[in-house]
Amino acid sequence: MAVKQPLLHTAGLTIGYRSGKNPAKVIAGPLNLDLYAGQLICLLGPNGCGKSTLLRTVSGLQQAVGGSIELEGKNLAKLKPAEIARLISLVLTDNVRSGNLDVYSLISLGRYPYSGWLGILSQQDKEAIDRAITATDTVAFLGRKLDSLSDGECQKVMLARAMAQDTPLIILDEPTAHLDLPSRIQLMRLLHQLAKDTNKAILISTHELDLALQVADQIWLMSSGGSLAAGLPEELVLNGSFQQAFDKDGIDFDINTGTFHIHTSGRKSISVTGEGPAAFWTRKALTRIGYALGPGVDTDEQVLVTEIEGVASWTYKKQGLTLSFDQLKELLTVL
Amino acid sequence: MMRKLNYSPLAGLFSCVLVFLLLTSSCKQAPAGKKHTSAKTGSAEIKYAKGFTIDYYDSYKLISIYSGIGTQRDTAQYVLLPAGAKAPEGYQKAQLIQIPVKKLVAMASTHVAQADFAGVANEIVGLGSFKYITSPVVRKNIAAGKVKDVGVDGTMNDEVLISMRPGLVIVMGNPDARLSKYETLSAAGVPVMLNSEWLETTPLGRAEWVKVMAALTNTEKLVNAKFDVIEKEYKKLAAIGRSAKTKPSIISGMPFKGTWNVPDGDSYMAEFFRDAGVSYKWINVKGKGSLPLNFETVAPEALKADFWLNPGYVDSKQDIQALDGRYADFKPFKSGNIFNFNKRVNDLGSNDYWESGAVNPQLILGDLIKILHPELLPDHQLVYYKQLN
Amino acid sequence: MNKIKILVLLSLLVIAFLLDVALGSVHIPVKEVIKVLFTPDSVNESWIYIVEKIRLPKALTAIIVGCGLSVSGLQMQTLFRNPLAGPSVLGITAGASLGVALVMLSAGSITSLYTIKELGISGSWLIIIASSLGAALIMVIIVSISSSLKDNVIVLIVGVMIGNITLSIISIWQYFSSPELIKDYLMWTFGSLGGVTGNQLVILATVVFAGLVISFLSSKLLDALLLGDNYARSMGLTVQRARLLIVLSTSVLAGGITAFCGPIGFIGIAVPHLARALFNTSNHRILIPACCLVGTVLMLICDIVAQLPGSQTVLPINVITALVGSPVVIWIIAGPTKLRGF
Repeated sequence: MAVKQPLLHTAGLTIGYRSGKNPAKVIAGPLNLDLYAGQLICLLGPNGCGKSTLLRTVSGLQQAVGGSIELEGKNLAKLKPAEIARLISLVLTDNVRSGNLDVYSLISLGRYPYSGWLGILSQQDKEAIDRAITATDTVAFLGRKLDSLSDGECQKVMLARAMAQDTPLIILDEPTAHLDLPSRIQLMRLLHQLAKDTNKAILISTHELDLALQVADQIWLMSSGGSLAAGLPEELVLNGSFQQAFDKDGIDFDINTGTFHIHTSGRKSISVTGEGPAAFWTRKALTRIGYALGPGVDTDEQVLVTEIEGVASWTYKKQGLTLSFDQLKELLTVL
Repeated sequence: MMRKLNYSPLAGLFSCVLVFLLLTSSCKQAPAGKKHTSAKTGSAEIKYAKGFTIDYYDSYKLISIYSGIGTQRDTAQYVLLPAGAKAPEGYQKAQLIQIPVKKLVAMASTHVAQADFAGVANEIVGLGSFKYITSPVVRKNIAAGKVKDVGVDGTMNDEVLISMRPGLVIVMGNPDARLSKYETLSAAGVPVMLNSEWLETTPLGRAEWVKVMAALTNTEKLVNAKFDVIEKEYKKLAAIGRSAKTKPSIISGMPFKGTWNVPDGDSYMAEFFRDAGVSYKWINVKGKGSLPLNFETVAPEALKADFWLNPGYVDSKQDIQALDGRYADFKPFKSGNIFNFNKRVNDLGSNDYWESGAVNPQLILGDLIKILHPELLPDHQLVYYKQLN
Repeated sequence: MNKIKILVLLSLLVIAFLLDVALGSVHIPVKEVIKVLFTPDSVNESWIYIVEKIRLPKALTAIIVGCGLSVSGLQMQTLFRNPLAGPSVLGITAGASLGVALVMLSAGSITSLYTIKELGISGSWLIIIASSLGAALIMVIIVSISSSLKDNVIVLIVGVMIGNITLSIISIWQYFSSPELIKDYLMWTFGSLGGVTGNQLVILATVVFAGLVISFLSSKLLDALLLGDNYARSMGLTVQRARLLIVLSTSVLAGGITAFCGPIGFIGIAVPHLARALFNTSNHRILIPACCLVGTVLMLICDIVAQLPGSQTVLPINVITALVGSPVVIWIIAGPTKLRGF
């Protein structure tokens, strides 16, 4: 099987800041990364570890401190902005609410690298714009002005612009920030679909660990020390990289459930028997109020959850005392 | 250093004490019911100037300088005392000046000219600027280091002035200026007088301000005699001008972009025009002296005028054309009848028209009549005016 | 829809132009005015002079200035993404004023006048050249500073500060000058469309035309800059070069106009908003010609008002542009039609 050429390849890349004649401040590196077409890659990591810097460096907005970056085999440092523009398009957190822009004009700006001298759009340009609009489902807002859109709608429009730029790689910096939950899910789902349908590579940085684990084809996990672990999301979980990356912040990642534990282990022990959603959520409730879930029936307190035709009931046993409840709330009151 | 310490606070204190003593002593001596006043012995004959009067009393002279017109008239009073005389009572607001004035500081060219006229130019020890000076006496003194630059009015160097201990500082007054502006100086014992000869609307009236200088320097006899000569000559010329058979049309001034400021009927220049015998469109317009007119209002007159007078800071027809090519279409430009009063400009760039011209209106009138009616004054040589080529 | 707006504006332009030429301090019947315009022949010679040599050049100047200032204001607003930016924001007009102050406030000295005469420059050309040099000086300073600055906001602030420094220097000069010279300089700062005739008009027209062409050709990069530097760069724009080009064309427009007409304010800030609101677009390919149209009409209207038709005096154009323009913008932005500008 022929080895696919990576769209983006970095070798020994170190990123950071250089101010004047002072020695550069290295934030992360050396990094050796590969990015392939058709994949959605999520860049995760705690705040301040350098996610934005990495994205800015890789897209040419910022100079690398050391190492090399290659786009489709070409050295990024030697490419002109116009050439980079045909390879990478961006969706940033920059505020673009000014300028009296309407949605169609904004999306058509994505054709900048291709349109004529005065910015006149050709038939080809218009088709690319239409494709982008369809793909991002933004047909409904075409005539509206930017400042009349909600945050979620605005993000879709910015994505449409990036799509219109027709680049093999799209980079998004925290696209789900400021969005409400439904919009966040919508956007992540859209990005995953786009990578599949258009064979583009999409690289996003995000804090949505839960969603990222579900949709990413690759995860780049950055830690505050400046190192980066890359791989399948599931592998990164199973080999402990996840826990390691977030361990320093005192956060507990449960590899069984794929969630982070907010609550520290409770002192009292209780066991919950039962299956199905009611039992699952009962366990969560008990954890919240301070219990540690014990292994079996040997604990002092036990709860049995039974579901008959969708109706749940709880039985609580403690040292001979048995109580029954129809509502979880009542059980919790007693405890 | 020592002089400074002695002068300012003590002199002020001394005059306060003196006035107080005078008041109290006069109260004791006055006969019951009658206030003691110095007897008025006469007034100076002021025929043309409207801005001042001079009254003579037994032991002092009183100059009243008026600013504003009608009911809003403000009077500034100056009491002129010979050395050693007691200050009269009843003049709390007046400025006391010791005469004859020695060590004079002049802020304007006209004051220098007045001093020259009275023969006391040698008394000038301070000037507002060394740039605008023509008088040979003063220039010699400047070269000899006897005259100090005290700064233009508004940015006068109070310290330099006070340390000079001048007998009088003459500044340009205007209807809005108050003596209070110069309080630092008066408080330090430096007398300040606000002259407003430039507010006079007649040439003889403006020239007559030499009589103020005369009173200040006790040169009344000389000055009055000289002024009488000038007055006679002027009136003779005015009679010739007014009775001229033809009245050539004139325009005056230089426009700036779209606005042409022309002298109106109440201006100093207009009086010259009347006495020189011209046809001037705005000769009867009442105003503040200058009318800001639209270029296109004046242009039709300029296209037909016989003469163009006083075109400002230009020295040749080329200068005029460089300012705006359209001026070349004016009739006086085409005929070459452009006359400017910059004939007597010295190497410093100072125009004597503003200096000696202020006290020699008969020469200016003579120039104008010679220009406008050359046949009426065949022997007159132009003094201040010259033709621009 | 746009076509109708263009037609209306064009007709307004023609009407305003005719009115500007027909109205003034001297009453000339409209029939005569038209006669002079199309067949220079009239009974009254001074009327020909007034229409041909005074009013016509002034109206043409108004058109040129209206275009030039509006487009340079538009560029500044786009480059700095700031609705209050205008052509003077980089200190270019302050630089022009500095050059003029240098000549006018030291003009009292005959020696300086003579030395300049040796060079063969005198009169109004002296003012024009001094003004252009002053503007060019500031432009060079701004360009050299901006090439080492990545952030546009910093360039904007630097420009404003340089403008302030320049104006302070002028104030110091004025403080030490005589009243007549100050008055002359003050007259210059009031701005005037009136003095530009003959060769000067040709040169002004050429300079402004050049500036407008450069601006129009920059439409595409101006559009990209609307999204900010990062996006613009990601779309292929070399931001430093683009900024240089925009600063250059703005300097040529603003500096050139100030050199011939003195500093004329407000038009550069107001007209882009009006154009954006009227044509409801952010596309510079449309906005630049739109600014020219709207700016021209507005400038002609201001000139007509400044004439105080029928009266013998004339008001400074700067006063009128502010008085006429401000309420218009307020009405557009906050009024019943709620056409949002920015």
